[in-house]
Amino acid sequence: MTGISWRHVALWAVFIIFMLLLPEMVSKGTLRTVIFANFLAIFAISWDVISGRTGYISFGHPFLIGIGAYTTAILSYRFGMPVGLSIPLAVCVTMVAGTLFFLPALRVKGSYFALVTLAFMELMYQLVQVIRPDLTGGTRGMSGVTTLARGAVNNYYLSFGLMIVIAVSMWVLMKTRFGTALSAIGMNEESVRGSGLSTTRLKLFAFMVSAMVAGLGGAFYVHYLGSIAPRALFDINFVFTIIVAVLIGGASTIVGPMLGAFFLTFLLEYLRPYLPGAERYFIYGSIALVIYMYQPKGLYEIVMQQWRKYRVVKAGET
Amino acid sequence: MAEVSRRKSRRDLNVSHHLEVNNLVKMFGGLIATNEMSFQVDEGESLGLIGPNGAGKTTIFSLIMGELRQTSGSITCFDSEISHLQTHERIQRGISRTYQVPRPFADMNVLENIRVGLMPDNIWQMIMRRPDPEREIELAQSVGFAENDFLRHPSELSIGDLRKLELARTLATDPSLMLLDEVFAGLTVAEIAQMAELINQKREAGMTMIIVSHDLKSLEPLIDRAIAMNYGAIVAEGSFADVMADEQVRATYLGDE
Repeated sequence: MTGISWRHVALWAVFIIFMLLLPEMVSKGTLRTVIFANFLAIFAISWDVISGRTGYISFGHPFLIGIGAYTTAILSYRFGMPVGLSIPLAVCVTMVAGTLFFLPALRVKGSYFALVTLAFMELMYQLVQVIRPDLTGGTRGMSGVTTLARGAVNNYYLSFGLMIVIAVSMWVLMKTRFGTALSAIGMNEESVRGSGLSTTRLKLFAFMVSAMVAGLGGAFYVHYLGSIAPRALFDINFVFTIIVAVLIGGASTIVGPMLGAFFLTFLLEYLRPYLPGAERYFIYGSIALVIYMYQPKGLYEIVMQQWRKYRVVKAGET
Repeated sequence: MAEVSRRKSRRDLNVSHHLEVNNLVKMFGGLIATNEMSFQVDEGESLGLIGPNGAGKTTIFSLIMGELRQTSGSITCFDSEISHLQTHERIQRGISRTYQVPRPFADMNVLENIRVGLMPDNIWQMIMRRPDPEREIELAQSVGFAENDFLRHPSELSIGDLRKLELARTLATDPSLMLLDEVFAGLTVAEIAQMAELINQKREAGMTMIIVSHDLKSLEPLIDRAIAMNYGAIVAEGSFADVMADEQVRATYLGDE
């Protein structure tokens, strides 16, 4: 909520340079894991814009991601539309459809909002299987969707480029008074209204921003995977992974969801050899719980605390 | 009703009132919270609203702000009906209130709290224009915050400071009519004096006010006129002395001696 200083710019620059050099340092397998982390980070940032800040918990983000993914997949795969056109269209469709469907959801509060959004996700799951299966591919989904890049390295650069553009632009946007107003809604919506601001308009705009990011992420994700399967997409575990990534990383920040996404992806990946089944989720749940109990503001806050402590010690030495 | 003179002359001249409430009724199910209330406040006037707990004073504020919708009746501001407007639209018409229980933004410091009050209701401007720290500081100082309070968070502030903060955020919306709900509750003697001075400054600057308070001694010098209410209806209206002399007021509000 403070201004942007040179230190922020420097930190972003260091991070970007590190990530650009990453393919030189790690194996292709690790790189593929990072690709997933990048996409999860995009989804987590999207979720955080509406839920992390305003406190309106969305369980329906796969609905938005799904609209983006399905739109571009159908347009390019079934109608042969070039990807350069189908992705922007998919983002627009996500924003419009998302806004229309969530307009009634904005009128309800708290857990009801979460339930309504959850219902949308379930609805979408049922609908894609029934309505025009010739287009959506029904239960089996689609495979053979155009991919944008070949090989782990290229895909890594593509996903990282998308993630960093989204992260930095959201970070700048949230530094403005708009971001402050959204956080204020999360703290006390009545007082925001009492300050003469239309909270409905603010939430709607935040939702459209969130939908845009989700649509963008979903569209690129499907062109990375080259396939789409409704069961994997409209899965409650997928929602929880996004939410847990934000919560353990640190809600209401941009770095937090990124941190959480990377932490979670690598945690699941490293647990895989030891626990190939669903037991992994038990471990990750426990770790998330411990972090959340230790510091509800997440990993981001833990890092910041250490940093402040370090600075105090440093200041004491000199 | 002794204080009638000035009001009457204005009414005869057909000057519109700053705020006029007509036959206002609010029912919560079968409970009548506001029962056919009618009153006016002129521009620059300060009206005191008194009554026992549960008399419906805060309900009136919520109705004027649009946080609650009346069952029937009308609310006009300079002769234009505002009942259909949403809260933020009423605030843009220059009506603002404080709350009995202050409602700060917990994770924001004093200046950031005021910043929210200063924001335009326009997302584009919100994003493109930078905040105005000078105006934030000016407002914080105007309600009596010292420089080392600026970066404090609400959890570090006393109830008196929280009321000041609430007042500053309310003033940030640039109101011409302020509804002050229990501004003295929980304040120390020194803080009450400070708050009273602040209210007097605003009065002198021409602000119209409706003040709710249980602290009658502090309230008296701040108002031109008083309305006593009970069970959602007006019991007595007039100068503070007249209202306090009213038998019904003595019975319901102060208790029999």
